Amino acid sequence: MSTDDRIRKQHVAGDLAEPAREARRLAEKLGLAPFDVNYWVVDYDEMNELIAYGGFQHRYPHWRWGMAYDRQRKQTQFLGGKAFEIVNNDDPAHAFLQESNDLADQKAVITHVEAHADFFRNNEWFRLFGTSPDAAAMLERHGETVAEYMADPEVSREDVEAWIDHVLCLEDNIDQHREFATARASDEESVTPGDLAEELEGMDVSEEVRTEVFDEEFLEAMTDDGEGPTFPPAPETDLLAFLVAHGKAYDEEAGKATDYEEWQREILEILRTEAYYFAPQKMTKVMNEGWASFHESLMMADERFAGPDEFLSYADHMAQVLGSPGLNPYKLGFELWQYIENRRNRREVVEHLLRVEGVTWRNFADTVDLDAVQAMLEPDPEMADPVAFLDALEADDPRVDAEALSAARRGAPDDGGIDVERYPWKLLTYEGLAERHYSLSKPQHRGFLKRINKAELEKISRYLFETDRYDDVAAAVAAVDRTAGWDRMREVRESHNDVTFLDAFLTPEFVDENDYFTYEYTRTTGDFRVTSDAAEDVKKKLMLQFTNFGKPTIAVKDGNFRNRNELLLVHRYNGVQLDVTRAKQTLERVFELWGRPVALKTIRKELDDHDIEVARRRDTEPEPTEQGTLIRFDGESFEETDLPDEEIEELVATDVDYDTKPEEWL
Amino acid sequence: MGLKEDLDRYRAVGEARRQDLSEFIQYGDLGQSRPDEVKIPIKIVDLPEFVYDPRDRGGVGQGTDGTPEVGDPVGEPDPQPGDGEEGGAPGEEPGDHEYYEMDPEEFARELDDELGLDLEPKGKKVIEETEGEFTDVTRTGPASTLDFERLFKQGLGRKLATDFDEEYVEAALRVDGWGPARVFEWARDNHIPVSRAWIEDAHDSLPAGEADRWASIEEMEANVERETTADRIRRDGLDRIPFRREDERYRYPEVIEERERNVVVVNIRDVSGSMRQAKRELVERTFTPLDWYLSGKYDHAEFVYVAHDADAWEVDREEFFGIRSGGGTRISSAYELAADVLAERYPYREWNRYVFAAGDSENSSNDTEKNVIPLMEEIDANLHAYVETQPSGNAINATHATEVDDHFDDRSNVAVAYVNGPEDVVDAIDAILSTETREEAVAG
Repeated sequence: MSTDDRIRKQHVAGDLAEPAREARRLAEKLGLAPFDVNYWVVDYDEMNELIAYGGFQHRYPHWRWGMAYDRQRKQTQFLGGKAFEIVNNDDPAHAFLQESNDLADQKAVITHVEAHADFFRNNEWFRLFGTSPDAAAMLERHGETVAEYMADPEVSREDVEAWIDHVLCLEDNIDQHREFATARASDEESVTPGDLAEELEGMDVSEEVRTEVFDEEFLEAMTDDGEGPTFPPAPETDLLAFLVAHGKAYDEEAGKATDYEEWQREILEILRTEAYYFAPQKMTKVMNEGWASFHESLMMADERFAGPDEFLSYADHMAQVLGSPGLNPYKLGFELWQYIENRRNRREVVEHLLRVEGVTWRNFADTVDLDAVQAMLEPDPEMADPVAFLDALEADDPRVDAEALSAARRGAPDDGGIDVERYPWKLLTYEGLAERHYSLSKPQHRGFLKRINKAELEKISRYLFETDRYDDVAAAVAAVDRTAGWDRMREVRESHNDVTFLDAFLTPEFVDENDYFTYEYTRTTGDFRVTSDAAEDVKKKLMLQFTNFGKPTIAVKDGNFRNRNELLLVHRYNGVQLDVTRAKQTLERVFELWGRPVALKTIRKELDDHDIEVARRRDTEPEPTEQGTLIRFDGESFEETDLPDEEIEELVATDVDYDTKPEEWL
Repeated sequence: MGLKEDLDRYRAVGEARRQDLSEFIQYGDLGQSRPDEVKIPIKIVDLPEFVYDPRDRGGVGQGTDGTPEVGDPVGEPDPQPGDGEEGGAPGEEPGDHEYYEMDPEEFARELDDELGLDLEPKGKKVIEETEGEFTDVTRTGPASTLDFERLFKQGLGRKLATDFDEEYVEAALRVDGWGPARVFEWARDNHIPVSRAWIEDAHDSLPAGEADRWASIEEMEANVERETTADRIRRDGLDRIPFRREDERYRYPEVIEERERNVVVVNIRDVSGSMRQAKRELVERTFTPLDWYLSGKYDHAEFVYVAHDADAWEVDREEFFGIRSGGGTRISSAYELAADVLAERYPYREWNRYVFAAGDSENSSNDTEKNVIPLMEEIDANLHAYVETQPSGNAINATHATEVDDHFDDRSNVAVAYVNGPEDVVDAIDAILSTETREEAVAG
């Protein structure tokens, strides 16, 4: 880096020190507890490099990063993509700011990053990898190890690269819901039963005896009839762990399986570890991006962290991020979090109202004037504009930060005071800020309270006790806890992942409002068609796409298949078939990692020409027949056999029907 | 550094599956591109993995303008979660979804590199006045072109320059023994932009008994806080911006005198019965990159599409590669039409002209010799080319290309190329474009 460069970056960094410090203080006031964040100012090229490396400075040598980098450059060059924020899950977290961004963008990135760092630290799924990831150091160590093997004259670089390729094909075939443990520790006790033919070879019988007595026919009979030991005891979805414990490499020259070389085993372990490290981020993308967008918006727009002169440029940036087409995790997450906040706040209000003497869920609509309630819920003027009421604020008000108040009254920062004009939130506590930013009073959510329906009222009232606690509505509203929404959000961010998050909070109201729909491929037209806009269909499809990284679940069924130490994988069929071409290509790679023949049981949907023709004439979609199939690869060729119907049963994993095509087609 | 090496490895590792330019021209999906924007598949080295059958999986989309009707086609499905990860990690989907856009200029550059061409567009330099960006300003103009931002900034600047903390200056008048003159002097020293007249007025309206509120200026300064203009604006908003007519500026398009290099490309295609699907595709594969190339080389490119059987007619690009008619073939009909169009719309002194024809070399008897060749000689053009497409080898009566080739032989502005399959396309393009390059070399 040239001196000029460094000076320029230092200059940028100097301007950002205060926003970073204040953003942290504000985040903490809002109830967040992020990892410490180290901010780095980088230039455009460095930013592209970091993005290619998944947010880190050092990774193992591999062409995939080169490809990502090439693509990143081309996309930013040709598609005008703009890199905005990159932060990694580490303690302390590292975040990177691009020097060419203007101050408003930098502030937005900082607020966004603080929320991510909070999510990384507090979401339980991230804890599965350990309480404090030492990620940057770990990845750098991995990089060094792989680089050493590549430099080793005994090991060919191409072999190492190819080995990494093989393992990466199974990158998502881990058990991401299980706490991470090294594969060796988790699979120590199981033993690999020997191969009979191999054992015979080891028994030192003469060639004559071998060919006369223990001939092929004999071996065949022994292995096919004999119910050899089967393992693992229960199907194992962590394919990588199973391979570390039981896999062998195929030795081309010897024409048989041999034990892994040390480098092969170590690289397999490394890549499995990294897969576990990155899994939580893939599992919580919607939640995490939504969480960050929510807090970014709260801090930048509502709390005016963007100065008046920066606000427009910020609003523009936000519109771009949330407005990008397709299924946008930022937007989906952001909207769901707002929905959770509103729903919990509404519940809190309604619970109080239902405890007013004489109010029940039946007469709610007649006895409670929700417009009046709405007016009472407006934040106190002192909270909305504490600076204007600096003299009136009382130090013992729980909503007021007493220390900050006395500092503010001392005067400007130079006199040991604080700049409340700029940072009015400093005067308030968490409670005060919750009232200041109370969601039900925001213009865009004004109608939310009134949209409550009878069914929900009934549900809320079901377990209420002390239903005559308040004499009147005013007393009930005064007792409403304004922090309920935020408290609930933090609970949700602790325990959920995208699947449970969408399952719990994606409501029909939400689907309708956002014009979501499902689509399917239809044979009649030969293209993808809109099939449904019903909330349950959209939800079902979304769940399919978020469950297990949106990939089919594959498990090891038997490591001693056919009693010959072949590997049998099963596809847990959920009504959506595999891409068989790609599955076969993957099996070829699995063979390299197992060293012996590999097989996969799955279900194919088959259509014969007759069905298609009949359906075409009737103007309906043809109904495929489900056929169980065993695909076996022996290192040279594939062999496919149909399975008897009773075997299909054990492959079917769920009875959810992911097909959203209407009965009456078009 | 590591990434540099990763990039090299990536280039080396995936070479076999690389979608480079010439391969794309031969086999790629040209239909993804438009004349002004060429879409080249990004090379993706695609590791296999267990995935759902994308057709069987379906997906979720979001309507941009209300929810679409059930049964509407959705076009290219949206990228779904699981298709690729954050931070540009390697793609998860088969590579045929990834494109990056090139403009024709870049395409031309890359093709030059790949084929070793170096065609310098010739200067039909036409001086023209065009309207450029709205960057010039005038003091009057239609309201819609008013540069409000500037007006606002000037007003704001003026406000900042003339605004001052009135209460603070009034406080100075309350210092014991200080009159307007003294205060004015003090204000000057403190860079407060207040006028003498204002101070006089304020002094006159000072309530009785207030004139000696502060014993000294130091006491006043210690007790009264001076509010900056920025703070005041933050607090009170910007409702009183003093707009002045003299700050009004109207944007006006810059007048640019441009020396343009114009090119017109006439694409002629035989659409008669003998031109079957395979031949049509070969024509499209040859002509389309030529069009992109020339668009990229020249400042301004126009295209004329002429379809012909025994007669010729002008068509749109969309139709051009698809049309099929039943008639016989008379190639000269197309050249007659081309000659008319060029003479009428594209005078040779202003336009570089390229006339590209393609067909299976079948022509009605004597037409080539009697009519086409004289017309080709007559039509002034940088380059004439004929592309013969014969997927199944030569037919006996298909002699147009050879006749033209023989007649013009060494002429530098006539090229004849033979395309029997996709693998010949790049060579044909090379042959055609290098004909003109050769001329360049001779002329230059």
